Amino acid sequence: MNRLVPAIWGKATAALRRSPQFSWVDAVVLLALMAVVYGIGRTAQQWTGALRPSVEIDLSARALPKYTLLSLSRGLAAYVLSLLFSLGYGYWAAKDRVAERVLIPILDILQSIPVLGFLPGVVLALVAAFPRSNIGLELASILLIFTGQAWNMTFSFYHSLRSIPLDQQEVATVYRFTPWERFRWVELPFSTIGLVWNSMMSMAGGWFFLMISEAFVLGDKDFRLPGLGSYMSVAVARGDTGAMIRAILAMATMIVVLDQLLWRPVVVWAEKFRVEEGSAGEAQSSWFYSWLKRSQLIESLQERLKHFSGANQPRERSEVSLRQRASRPRRGKLVSTFLLVAMLLGGIFGGYHLLLLLRLVSGAQWRGTLLSALLTLGRVLLATALGTVWTVPVGLTIGLSTRLSRILQPVIQLLASFPAPMLFPAATAILASAGVSLGWGSVVLMLLGTQWYVLFNVIAGATAVPADLREAAISYHFGRSERFWKLYLPAIFPYLVTGWVTAAGGAWNASIVSEYVTFKGEALATWGLGAQISEAAAAANFPLLSASVVVMSAVVVVFNRLVWKRLNVLAETKFSLSK
Amino acid sequence: MSIPGQINASAQPGSPLCEVQHVSQEFPQPHGQPLRVLESIDLQIRANEVVALLGPSGCGKSTLLRILAGLLVPTRGEVLYHGKRLEGLNPGVAIVFQSFALYPWMTVMENVEAVLNAAGLSRGEAGAQAAQAIRTVGLAGFEEAYPRELSGGMKQRVGMARAFSLNPEMLFMDEPFSQVDALTAESLRAEVIDIWTSKDKKTSSILIVSHDIKEVVYMADRIVVMGAHPGVVKKIVENTLPRPRDYRSPALLQLVDQLHDIITGIEMPDIPAAVPEAVAIEPLPHVGPGEILGLLEYLDARGGQEEVFRIASDTQREFGTLISVVNAAEMLDLVETPKRLVRLAPEGIRMVRAQIADRKVLWRQRILTLGLFQQVVRAIERSPDGEVTKEFVLENIVLAMPLENYEAIFETFVKWGRFADLFDYDEEREVFRAFSGSEGEIRQRQSGTG
Repeated sequence: MNRLVPAIWGKATAALRRSPQFSWVDAVVLLALMAVVYGIGRTAQQWTGALRPSVEIDLSARALPKYTLLSLSRGLAAYVLSLLFSLGYGYWAAKDRVAERVLIPILDILQSIPVLGFLPGVVLALVAAFPRSNIGLELASILLIFTGQAWNMTFSFYHSLRSIPLDQQEVATVYRFTPWERFRWVELPFSTIGLVWNSMMSMAGGWFFLMISEAFVLGDKDFRLPGLGSYMSVAVARGDTGAMIRAILAMATMIVVLDQLLWRPVVVWAEKFRVEEGSAGEAQSSWFYSWLKRSQLIESLQERLKHFSGANQPRERSEVSLRQRASRPRRGKLVSTFLLVAMLLGGIFGGYHLLLLLRLVSGAQWRGTLLSALLTLGRVLLATALGTVWTVPVGLTIGLSTRLSRILQPVIQLLASFPAPMLFPAATAILASAGVSLGWGSVVLMLLGTQWYVLFNVIAGATAVPADLREAAISYHFGRSERFWKLYLPAIFPYLVTGWVTAAGGAWNASIVSEYVTFKGEALATWGLGAQISEAAAAANFPLLSASVVVMSAVVVVFNRLVWKRLNVLAETKFSLSK
Repeated sequence: MSIPGQINASAQPGSPLCEVQHVSQEFPQPHGQPLRVLESIDLQIRANEVVALLGPSGCGKSTLLRILAGLLVPTRGEVLYHGKRLEGLNPGVAIVFQSFALYPWMTVMENVEAVLNAAGLSRGEAGAQAAQAIRTVGLAGFEEAYPRELSGGMKQRVGMARAFSLNPEMLFMDEPFSQVDALTAESLRAEVIDIWTSKDKKTSSILIVSHDIKEVVYMADRIVVMGAHPGVVKKIVENTLPRPRDYRSPALLQLVDQLHDIITGIEMPDIPAAVPEAVAIEPLPHVGPGEILGLLEYLDARGGQEEVFRIASDTQREFGTLISVVNAAEMLDLVETPKRLVRLAPEGIRMVRAQIADRKVLWRQRILTLGLFQQVVRAIERSPDGEVTKEFVLENIVLAMPLENYEAIFETFVKWGRFADLFDYDEEREVFRAFSGSEGEIRQRQSGTG
């Protein structure tokens, strides 16, 4: 059977190819192009539409594709922004040593800060800037998604640029590549694989923030945007279970479709940029990519592009004088210094205004803020611990069995990208009806959002346990419990730490919308920093809002340095499996 | 698990400790038929002997060791322990692993204690026995060290301490010294034999898997020579040399020689090649033209012939890989292989002496004697649009050689064909075209694969 299908398929498409007309693959490609154009048109329509006081959602199934499209457009727009940012920021940090010393620590901090703390502030600010049209709200949403996507891609690009093999760089120097040529032929190809994988991770993380921003309600102000997140929250408010299921299915379908039609083909295409010998374990294959290759339309487009870019003509090498070449790096340095100074000035300016705001906060308020911070910290740690308790056994069971992990792999991939905040409205309703106070309910919500990170890391760690250590344990009659404590747990420890860091970060983010929820038009809140941020925003109390956000960021960063970094060091020394 | 201090007395004197009867092992493959690794093996391990499994990579000797240890259940056949059918792990076996298999987060002492604890000893007893075992292998003083602080030889000593601490009835060693430097390996081998022959020894027999002939002759009483593809027992050689053995003694070197001959007789048979009318399609060894040409150059530099083991050690090639290269060269009539020698054939001499352009022509002649290439070239000529798909070639390969790994053969086919300028293969569109060497065509080919 395995051989029959390709044999028949091959002959069929070969027969089709012999005719000079376009095959039906091309018809599909054309249709897709038209759909994209239509989609862009509708999205633009939504963006420039008038700002409504509260979102109007149509819960019928027919309206679902429209909302899916809108959510997708926000996610993709934020991704494009993130990609451009990573290329620019990463390039700057990699090329300029002086700037690097400032840029990389900033990136590190930005990565740790719970960006959702800024959500209320950013939304209020942008809506005030664009009072009449939807653009402000859309921009806020995209900006927030961007902050969830950009950092790991930037780090990946930066690290790739810094680890290009010396000999490849020397070739570029010896053959006098211009900076653009160097970027196009050496740096960009080398970074492609890292960028592709990080893009996939970023998109997955982006859904998390997208769902939260689309369903964002602050007290009596409705900042929801038409999309899957708001569809879900309206469905919950009206108790429409059918609509809830439809929304979840739509989200899952979008993730799967995006994976099959966009990411898998790109991953397969990017394999040609692999530098080290030997394949990356299992060969990636994408049915869509192989299918696309048969399209005559795309092939002729590629030919035309190549002709257009003059790839086959000999490049005209102008005899650039040495002096001109020396002035180029100096010019670059000038631009870079200028940008750096501008950034620092902007930072100082912003910092000064922030200090002015903070001075308006009373001592009692500071104390209250610190207490709330500790409370939320407790919740974050509790959620992480509870998550670990069940995900370690389950993750080990899945990861250690090749059969199970193969069968469940698509499910796990889907779960990895599925945004748990989409389920928050439903979970809140259940908790409220069960009479659970938000003090504990928020822990449940945080758990719902972030336990998956621990699970996936445990599974990844379990699949990486070396076979010979397992064999030794079995052959020396290690019992179940001994195998767990002496082999599996230490072996997955580094992965567990990564899972904890990610889960805790996610929990901090989730606290903004877990400790303060709007249920049936009423705002419920509990003691905690997340609640304080939301309440301050709802009351437009900007000094307290800034103070709370600053404290949250500070707590996260300090905890990072004190605890997570230490655990990481322990994982790398004592528990590292590399010989 | 053997209770320390007590050799399992339930075995009748003279009967084997454990054995395999008609054991075969197959592994399922992602492409094609399951891989037959072992074929109908009969083997016994008796008391008070050292048995060695000798053979090239891929002959299934490690698999056989795992079957005897109870880690693998064979696809067919019986495994017996003390005459009774073995269920689960073999209770009389402790294994020393090729890659040491030490737990990096435990100290040397903890690594050894862990297995004693697992065997049911109390903490005090485990500690005492572990300390004793560590002393025996010469690592006293290193109890608190972590594996990453130790050299390869020391790590294997820990592995040995761990195994010996249990006083197992049988000690199984899976290529134990292949990842240890040569000098340390020599002393470790001597130590293993010392421990085994000492007065108060508790271990009855040792099974060692190796691809090193000298090691095997030094250590073993019975040498089981295995062949590959599929793995079978080719010959069992008795080694009656008295211990302690000397690596340089003439008797030992003679036995080593004998084994060399046996192995080459198995791997490179002296069957005179029937002149093929090139209709049959044979499987292509997975080697590139560069390697074959390298072999020819090497032989030419040494007067046209050399002994195969010398080639392996000179070129630092893994023996199994070298055999593939020699077989490929022989398939193309570039070398002859009388006994242990590899000798340049007239065609090979001509190829070596030629310029690069002529080499391609000669190479093309050579591969066109093979059935698969003839078929594909004919198909390209006959095809209306001058193209032949990858699927067509794969079908031919699978139909002719259903038991082989068709992806690997396809890869080799493309490599050899490209070197001969026999055809153009467009990897993106997966089609073969007639070779075209003109200017415009070269540019098109470049842009197609760019």
